[in-house]
Amino acid sequence: MMAASAIEQADAHAIAAAIIFREARLLDTGEWTDWVAMYSEDAVYWVPGWLDEYTTTSDPKTQVSLLYHDARRGLEERIARIESRKSITALPLPRTVHQISNLEASESAPGEITCHSVFSVHVYDPRVAKEHLRHGRYAHTLRRDGDIWKITRKVITLVNDRVPTVLDFYSI
Amino acid sequence: MNAASQNHAARLREISRLIDDRPSERIFEVDRRIFTDPDVFDAELRHIFEATWNFIGLESQVARPNDFVTTHIGRHPILVMRSADGKVGAFLNTCRHRGTIVCPFKQGRQKFHVCRYHGWAYDSSGRNISVTEEASGQYPPSFSNQNHDLLPVARLGSYRGFMFASLSADVPPLEEFLGDTRAFLDLIIDQSDSGQVEFVPGASTYTFDANWKLQFENGLDYYHFATTHSSYVDILKKRNANAGPDAGFTVEPEGEQEGQGSFSFDYGHAVNWSIKRTQLYGRPLGMDPARLDAVRQRVGSTRAKWMLRQRNLTIFPNLQVIDILSAQVRTWRPLAPDKTEMVSHCLAPVGESAAARTLRIRNYEDFFNASGLASSDDNVMYEFCQTGYEATSAAPTQGYLRGVADVGHGESAHSRELGITASEWSFGPTSFGGETNFHPGYREWRRLLQHAAGEPA
Repeated sequence: MMAASAIEQADAHAIAAAIIFREARLLDTGEWTDWVAMYSEDAVYWVPGWLDEYTTTSDPKTQVSLLYHDARRGLEERIARIESRKSITALPLPRTVHQISNLEASESAPGEITCHSVFSVHVYDPRVAKEHLRHGRYAHTLRRDGDIWKITRKVITLVNDRVPTVLDFYSI
Repeated sequence: MNAASQNHAARLREISRLIDDRPSERIFEVDRRIFTDPDVFDAELRHIFEATWNFIGLESQVARPNDFVTTHIGRHPILVMRSADGKVGAFLNTCRHRGTIVCPFKQGRQKFHVCRYHGWAYDSSGRNISVTEEASGQYPPSFSNQNHDLLPVARLGSYRGFMFASLSADVPPLEEFLGDTRAFLDLIIDQSDSGQVEFVPGASTYTFDANWKLQFENGLDYYHFATTHSSYVDILKKRNANAGPDAGFTVEPEGEQEGQGSFSFDYGHAVNWSIKRTQLYGRPLGMDPARLDAVRQRVGSTRAKWMLRQRNLTIFPNLQVIDILSAQVRTWRPLAPDKTEMVSHCLAPVGESAAARTLRIRNYEDFFNASGLASSDDNVMYEFCQTGYEATSAAPTQGYLRGVADVGHGESAHSRELGITASEWSFGPTSFGGETNFHPGYREWRRLLQHAAGEPA
């Protein structure tokens, strides 16, 4: 029994790692169509705000978040805005490197994996040759959809929330 | 006056001349150096931000006894507290002993604030209640005769829950300072049946690498919207094609002329507004017809009509209040000639429905702040301007003249409706985007510097 659950745990970890690292690569290479396709249509993408030094917002209906989308459509709009080449935030677009570690994953329900990790995103803006670092924690929920796994929920706790100039999906 | 202060006064007069304002010749020019020069920046902090009324928060942020919130006026850290017996005070957040910041937190509730350095303690009325080991301190007699309380700001006032403070006592009464901008605060406050507004929890803070006056101007600038925010407008148009009744779209009454206008006021304030047949975004007040009817009954159809029109209010020098798809209160803190910190709150009338509140929050996140689909473009644009302003040998920019040929004085049809008096007004088609509403801020900027230089008003 112990051996079996240890194997399942390793599977969950391997599945989560493959998805989360792929997501990071697609964000950094700007392959956003492939990136957003990793999300289910009903996916929640949430960056809570901070209420004070220690507490993040917990209810998007009654509190302001930094970003909150309750469907993939919200992310698709953000991508379309960048790709239209009309948004000045993307002229030029910053270059980013996502580094993710401390990954923990477990099967939280049949066909569902919950995972926690930490991130550092190095953001370099070639327009002004300035760079900054966003860092924080990810909580992903993955759901099996036939043969593949989709991201159904991603909560990003942004630790350094005094944001320089622009915050968008590619910089966290 | 000694030589140093004479030199300082002469320098302030020189700086004040960087604004060239000749209304009879229809000239208004702003020298690029006011965005880049460290001397100008120092003069602004000392003689503008630290010498006039600043918005410091809502009374509802310190609703209960011993609630506190911290902020800044210019460079000065400020601690706003409600005392145990319910009186609001604003103090310099600096220990009388060695100057340590007394309260390092953003907000909270505490009866006492104890300095972490040597343990001097203050109550929530600012009174010093303990000088650690005072008896064994071998203090001279003069020490015990000194007051050890936190230093209060020179002036503190509130208009219907909007708190303002000044580090200088040499300011007009708050009512006179705000003047008829109060009518525009009322248009937000009176959306609440109880006449109360609150910040929705979840303030955000961001910075941009540009001068604070870029934000001051942009908040009054309708001319930029179609260009700077075209990617956002594209998204809105797509969404609006499928919008349902709960998106909150409202219509102007029959017979209203479309257009954009502004009112300018004394002491640097101005407001922009627009009258449009086709809205780009809904209104939280518009998604609940029964509530909108009730508000209309209470405030009258004219003011209800104005509550649904976009209004961008600037109260000089540090506050902008926007009421459109949501309501936003934003303040800025100048950190350097080319660095500004913004604090942004979602503002809401107390008592709106849960669905209207959620729409307000989603709309706010959508548009505003470094993470929003519109404000983020503004922030980058400020940095583009700041880089361009480094061309200090270039002629002054040509960005202050839209509307100058037709600027209005005295009453207008719109001011009569609202029962207000403006120092100047403008009105034009929806493509107008006037710039005369930047002038009062720069005139007040110049007046405060001249006043500091000892020139008569």
